[in-house]
Amino acid sequence: MTAGTARKVPAAAPDREARLAWPPRAGMRLLRLYAASRRVPVAIGAIAACAVGLRIALTGHWDSYGALQLPLVFEAGAAAAITITTASPLGEPERVTGRWLPFLRLATTLALTAAAAGALTAAGIGAHLAGGTVDVLRNLAGMTGIGLLCAAALGGRLAWIGPTGYLVVGAYGLYTQWHGPALTTPWIWPARPPHDVGAEMCAALVFTIGIVITSVRGAHDPAGE
Amino acid sequence: MTAVQAPAAARPTPVKRGPLRATARLLRLELRRNAMLWMLPVAIGLFWFTAYRKAVAIPPLWNLRAASMQIGALLAFVCPVVGAAAWMGSRESRRHTTDLVTITARPRWVRQLATWAATTCWAIVGYLGCVAALYGVTAQQAAWGGPLWWPAAVAAASLPALSALGFAAGTLIPSRFTPPVATVAAFFVLALSTQLIVGSQSYWQISPVVTGPWDMTPDAGVGTFYPYLPDLPIAQVMFLTGLTIAVLGAVALPGGSGGGWLRRPAAAVTMAGLVAAGTAVALAGTGTMDAHGMIAIPALHDAANDRPLRYTPVCSHTAIPVCLNPAYASYLPTAATALAPVLSEVAGLHGAPVRISQAAATYRQGIGNSVGIGLPGPPISGTPPVFRLLLPSQLPGPTMTTSELAAAVRSSAGFALVASVIGDNAGATRAQQAVTAALSMSAGLPQSSPAAPTRQRPNATVPLPAPVQSAARRFAALPASARHSWLMQHLAALRAGRIALAQLP
Repeated sequence: MTAGTARKVPAAAPDREARLAWPPRAGMRLLRLYAASRRVPVAIGAIAACAVGLRIALTGHWDSYGALQLPLVFEAGAAAAITITTASPLGEPERVTGRWLPFLRLATTLALTAAAAGALTAAGIGAHLAGGTVDVLRNLAGMTGIGLLCAAALGGRLAWIGPTGYLVVGAYGLYTQWHGPALTTPWIWPARPPHDVGAEMCAALVFTIGIVITSVRGAHDPAGE
Repeated sequence: MTAVQAPAAARPTPVKRGPLRATARLLRLELRRNAMLWMLPVAIGLFWFTAYRKAVAIPPLWNLRAASMQIGALLAFVCPVVGAAAWMGSRESRRHTTDLVTITARPRWVRQLATWAATTCWAIVGYLGCVAALYGVTAQQAAWGGPLWWPAAVAAASLPALSALGFAAGTLIPSRFTPPVATVAAFFVLALSTQLIVGSQSYWQISPVVTGPWDMTPDAGVGTFYPYLPDLPIAQVMFLTGLTIAVLGAVALPGGSGGGWLRRPAAAVTMAGLVAAGTAVALAGTGTMDAHGMIAIPALHDAANDRPLRYTPVCSHTAIPVCLNPAYASYLPTAATALAPVLSEVAGLHGAPVRISQAAATYRQGIGNSVGIGLPGPPISGTPPVFRLLLPSQLPGPTMTTSELAAAVRSSAGFALVASVIGDNAGATRAQQAVTAALSMSAGLPQSSPAAPTRQRPNATVPLPAPVQSAARRFAALPASARHSWLMQHLAALRAGRIALAQLP
């Protein structure tokens, strides 16, 4: 290394400035590419399908079991769709070079969760949606959190195992409200009343842990996937 | 350097393998690399949490536990099996090996069948393990009877069908979203399709989660006094087999699964499967609830199953023996202890029963999905007279503790027994009402008569007039021997309505 080359180091400053003055179009392009690589448009379609399915189902006549279990099924479907978007087709190269990845992961998951909560709540307008908005938000967030934890442990493509497995547990929890002994643990939050603080805290905790882990570390991408 | 005379290397000869060996090898490879193997802990965990714990918490009666197991096992296995099958079905697309394996000698359909078979094998292995655990525990606890295999067979036949549906979804729509969508859809259909059942004549009873008249929770009285009817399970197994065949045949229909030589038989197989499934649905629609609480399908019904099961009752050593079906032997001490004071009061009286015998309940379809359960006719009948008893556990309702059961037996059967002996029915005199109340008081029973004693249910009680209550208290205050001797002399007159209230001691 020569003195001349050493003096060139400060020249990096304009480059940094250039990066800070990132044109919005480039940011939008990054977002678009990221969303496309994670199949976000398909996930949005799946969430919309869940909302439409819930709306159609709510027009039917359901007994107490059905009325309570019905939203849970569609919430699980939406949660599974959200968590599957954590799967990356690019793997190691993206992890090494993607400076904005944690923020993109966080933003995508939050945006999809908010969209799903909004869509499912909107599906219940004008119909009897058991539990209401609070129930939808709590169950969706909790099951999404479980899916994100599954994504961190098993991989994004297998993240659906968590929400679908928990769907069975939640439906059973609701069933035990009629055929005791009732399950009252807040960790089975679908079986708790909508404004149960313990259940809300458990669901929020699982969602927070899941989103932090998958935002920072990303989903576990097994070799060969 | 000299040449060494070595024997010429033999030309490699192609290894000859029979088609069966090749198929077995393919299946072995698929078994080793199947996602269902890794899903088994999830399925078994769900079974333990939702089905096993619930089943072992209910009384150890084979009919109750088998019906509970069928529903619970299906709902526990549906998500893991459908999800794993869809995951395996989309494997070639996911791993981008479709072109690579297309050039292999075997048609794509054969390879797909091996993958489906491996998935199904693991699912069935896990399921059989769960059934063995639950039935093993039940065999140790049950006092009488044996395992009911039809409920186990229906759930077992469901697994290939669920696996085929998931596999077909994964094969035909290979996307990362296919497994969860297929899983949630399968759970939705299986768990919530029963909402469409109205009455016992419903096509939706073909759903494998249906074990009997819907909205009548697994009932202890079903399949204990009469054989467990296989009519509905036969139709369900037929439907599930037909569905499996149809779906697997349909997988071979798209181009690329095989040549035209394969598509034609595949279409025939699909049609055959659809015909079988459709026939089963039509048969299920003709089913009706019989008097024993099970779904009878005329075309599949065997009249031999209408004959009651033979058993030797277990009896107590009380003043009047209380005899129960041996399946309910564990209830005998509670029932006998609960009824002992009443039995002491009425033993030896004219018209008193010589035995309290547990009877089979009669089931009647009500409006919608409601089912009426009770005893037909008066509680005391026959010569010599026998009092027919329905245990509270034979009626719908939550599982009772021992003390709750004893209280229910006292208030229902105890009161019905006293009222039957005294003749305290709808047209009873005030003296009869007073004596019934007095005997009930002495035996620690409720103080007023139930509205419908033949149902043996503690329904709405009718408060007695003050003079009747006063006479009852007076009669109850007599020593037991004095009461008994008075009844021995005057019971016939009392039952005939010839004794006035003032004539009571």
